[in-house]
Amino acid sequence: MELVLLLLQQLSVYLVIAYLLSKTPIFIPLTSISGRNSHRFVYYILFSSFCILGTYFGLSIENAIANTRAIGAVMGGLLGGPLVGFFVGLTGGLHRYFMGGFTDVACTLSTTTEGFIGGLLHLYFLRKGKIGHIFKPSVALLVTLFSEVIQMLIILIVAKPFEQAWALVQAIALPMVIANGLGAALFMSIIQDKKAIFEKNYTTFSNKALRIAQRTVGEFSQGFNSDSCKKVADIIYQETGVGAVSITDRDKILAFIGVGADHHLCGTVISSGYTLKAIESGEIIYVDGYETDYQCSINTSCRLGSVLVIPLLEADGRVLGTIKLYEPKQKFFSTLNRNLGEGIAKLISNQILTGRYIQQKNLLNQAEIRLLHAQVNPHFLFNTLNTISAVTRKNPQKARELIQHLSQFFRSNLKQNIEQVTIKEELVHVQSYLEIELARFEERLSVEINIDDRLLPLEIPTFTLQPLIENAIKHGTSTLMRKGELKVNGYILKKDNNAVVVLEVIDNAGNYCTKGKKVGLGLQIVDKRLKNKHGQQYGLVISCKTDEFTKATISFPLLNGQEF
Amino acid sequence: MLKAIIIDDELYAREELNELLVESNAVEVIAQCSNAIEGLKVINSLKPDVVFLDIQMPQITGLDLISMLDPESMPKIVFVTAYDEYAVTAFEDNAFDYLLKPVESDRLHKTLKRLKNNNISPSNYSAVVTHHLELIPCSGFNRIILLEPNKIEIAMSDQTGVHLLTGDETLTASLSLKILEEKTELIRCHRQYLVNPICLREIKLLDNGSAEIITRSGLKTPVSRRYLKKIKDRFGLI
Repeated sequence: MELVLLLLQQLSVYLVIAYLLSKTPIFIPLTSISGRNSHRFVYYILFSSFCILGTYFGLSIENAIANTRAIGAVMGGLLGGPLVGFFVGLTGGLHRYFMGGFTDVACTLSTTTEGFIGGLLHLYFLRKGKIGHIFKPSVALLVTLFSEVIQMLIILIVAKPFEQAWALVQAIALPMVIANGLGAALFMSIIQDKKAIFEKNYTTFSNKALRIAQRTVGEFSQGFNSDSCKKVADIIYQETGVGAVSITDRDKILAFIGVGADHHLCGTVISSGYTLKAIESGEIIYVDGYETDYQCSINTSCRLGSVLVIPLLEADGRVLGTIKLYEPKQKFFSTLNRNLGEGIAKLISNQILTGRYIQQKNLLNQAEIRLLHAQVNPHFLFNTLNTISAVTRKNPQKARELIQHLSQFFRSNLKQNIEQVTIKEELVHVQSYLEIELARFEERLSVEINIDDRLLPLEIPTFTLQPLIENAIKHGTSTLMRKGELKVNGYILKKDNNAVVVLEVIDNAGNYCTKGKKVGLGLQIVDKRLKNKHGQQYGLVISCKTDEFTKATISFPLLNGQEF
Repeated sequence: MLKAIIIDDELYAREELNELLVESNAVEVIAQCSNAIEGLKVINSLKPDVVFLDIQMPQITGLDLISMLDPESMPKIVFVTAYDEYAVTAFEDNAFDYLLKPVESDRLHKTLKRLKNNNISPSNYSAVVTHHLELIPCSGFNRIILLEPNKIEIAMSDQTGVHLLTGDETLTASLSLKILEEKTELIRCHRQYLVNPICLREIKLLDNGSAEIITRSGLKTPVSRRYLKKIKDRFGLI
């Protein structure tokens, strides 16, 4: 019993060393199972050392040593696999061998065997896909107990004379089994704790990063300005929990949130030398307030005590601004937030660039639409003037009407700034266009409009119907030798609890099939705008049958509040 | 007085030009046509001195129409267009006469004056006309058919006109064999026959040095000695 206590005393010293080591980076490879040779080498060195340490901390007894060598060997095998286990055991065993005594050969053999047993268990868990079990202290306890029993058997078989070996085993078996089993379990528990802390940090880090990424998506789609920066700075402030967050462009503060917001005002010119330096050099600047003194450049009574300035970079590496994280004087900058800061800066830079891209794309869309509106088909204009000229001769009243329609048509074309119009308004525009075409084509065109009255107050993007109708006449009915027939239908389609508004423009030419199914810019924009607004399943669909019809159908959902 | 016809698909455009021409008292409008096919027929039958021709018309444009006319008996052409940047540039380059709609009477008078002085543009319209016809206007019983040239197997001419044989039917065209030979893929195999090379199935050589072609649908056409060599060359036969 005395031996048990003595051995446990030695074990305590042994475990304190293990605990201290767990605070160093040497321990990091132990927190995960890896087949990499460099990791295996670390396992080998580390556990061989523990093996030898176990021998030195042993107690001499009857020309033999009661020890905690088995912990190193079994743990080495368990964490590093059979190969590592075998060599750790062999190394520890050979060291023991050179210390002599009648059990020298038996101890060498048994330690090697113990390492190998740990390795076999490692292999077993790996094959079963239960790597997590390796880190359980209970597993370490049981396998070490078992290994120690094997060791005792080996001593009895190998060590001579048998009587002496038998006496030794009687004395040391119980203390060693208990001390080694307990030691291995505690050792594994230290590793497990380390692993848990490590993983927790890692999870916190990635969670924070992901949440910031997720919450800031699209914030810069309206541009890199004070409004968007304030929103983003607020998100970063909430997620990181730092003292204050600031975003600047190259000249001035765009957003500041947190401690010191009373004197760090948005819109003021950057005065901090560190920020200017970061903008100048494009490098991250960290001022901890201890090694390098930090003093707020605006107000001497400012409570901020440390700052991390990270430049925001363009795709070509040019600095477009900075993001600054602050901590107040009584608080330390956590390593986590420092690392996170760099990631955030990269993320924000990308968001700004994406935002700018989206903005330009939207501008382009608007430009396209304006171009379309301004694009009056000259052929239409001059033919209309020619028609009016001819009609004037015989029917001045009708000529006057045509001029009114033409004015009306141009007036609506010039209303470029209105995004949405009601179907009724769009129909007025269409009507004036049709009146002119009907006069021009006289007996060669007939038009039938059939639109559900309930649709009239609904809003559609400007120039949705008109291009479809112009297209049907220009590329459809006007190419026919026979009479052209144009139909415009509008109705509500009920489909799986959804109400869809459908507008159709049908001509009797069917040229879309024969002319290679190409769609002009005007119709592409009609489609794009409806899809942007309502989703991919809506927009423009064109169907046709050669020589019979071309049908352009646009559809969009009947929105809430427009229930019938 | 010069005899004129107007070809335009828009009623008001025809009326307007007619009024202006009547007012001018320089030409006599003998017919108005609302499409190119009618125009082609009228030109061939009435032989006008001058044609006021709209360019943009359904199916067969004014430029297609000119390419269907025999250069030998081509009337004088005055192009009329509302807006056609490309064509107008070509007219300017080749000094062709053209009028822009709405027609200005001063401009019309200048054109008419040149017409009277027989000073109007050359009759070679190759710079603007269609070189490859996509549709051939044909007349059947009380109807007009626009035939794609690749459907024609054999074209032949006799006293009654030019006939196009498709294998299913025989249609009468208002175009000469010469135009068809120039503006389509058809090749000459006899003074009075053209054959479509993609429809050729068999060339039967005869004792007298001539031959006979049998087409996909089993139609037969004679090959005269004069054209046999060309046909052989075309198909790489010796």
